[in-house]
Amino acid sequence: MSFTLEIALAVFVVLTAVSAALLRDVLGAIVVFAAFSLGMSIIWVILQAPDVALTEAAVGAGVMGVLFLLTIAKTARPSYDKVVESVNFKAVAVVGVLLLLLLSTVPALPEVGSPDSPAVQERVDGELTPYGYYVQMTPEDTGVQNAVAAVLVFYRGFDTFGEAVVVFSALVGVLVVLGREVER
Amino acid sequence: MMEAFDVFVARYYHVTFMVVSCIGLYMLIDSANLVKKVIGLNIFQMSVFLFFVTAAYREGAGPALITEGGGPYANPLPHVIVLTAIVVGVSLTSLALALVVRVYSEYGTLSEDRVEEVMANE
Repeated sequence: MSFTLEIALAVFVVLTAVSAALLRDVLGAIVVFAAFSLGMSIIWVILQAPDVALTEAAVGAGVMGVLFLLTIAKTARPSYDKVVESVNFKAVAVVGVLLLLLLSTVPALPEVGSPDSPAVQERVDGELTPYGYYVQMTPEDTGVQNAVAAVLVFYRGFDTFGEAVVVFSALVGVLVVLGREVER
Repeated sequence: MMEAFDVFVARYYHVTFMVVSCIGLYMLIDSANLVKKVIGLNIFQMSVFLFFVTAAYREGAGPALITEGGGPYANPLPHVIVLTAIVVGVSLTSLALALVVRVYSEYGTLSEDRVEEVMANE
């Protein structure tokens, strides 16, 4: 995949995030956020994470947008005469300091796609890493080819169970929070 | 100077992650509208996913579909963590938005400042 496209996508994602922050109109911010999600899911495809890309496109750009729009429909969409939010320089200063701190760590990180990156070493000192184990043993252990699915439901099924618990609790929370309105 | 610039260009996704996370944080701090705060939270969260998936990537790698003699592959573990986190993120967003709807029905406004005003007057 060409480098130019990747840079263009990164710029697109940053620009959509900035416009979500600066647009006063909430509906506009929601639409821009959906575009941001779409840009992200294309980045996942480029980074060879098709499972994440599918989930992101369906959930981030789809379900999430619907949830936000429903909220707008149930509450209010204030109308403003100004299109762009005025910038709060105190907040920019705080965030800028954090950004500088984060950027100072960049030289210590591995280059994008570097084969020396610690996360993609099959063996360290002759020992099989978790990555090495997953890519070598998945078909033998589980009989499926897709290592992401194998890790999700087989090797780390308990984590996925925890995820289901979180989703259930959130659902109960939503019903409790909104249910009281119906009673009154 | 040029070398320092190259260091950042070679790690473009890491830089994107940092910039986008700071934009999300800015929205969390500054946006008066509660719905926009939730959007900011989501943008922040998504930027962290970018960091994870970038770490899993390797030049010339394919997706983690294991075949005989194939490879190299992207690391499947960060992908799984991000998949889980996306679903957890949707749960959190829906709960946050339910709370926003409730705040609106109690106070009749989505603006953080107005809510504080009303609370002070009570």
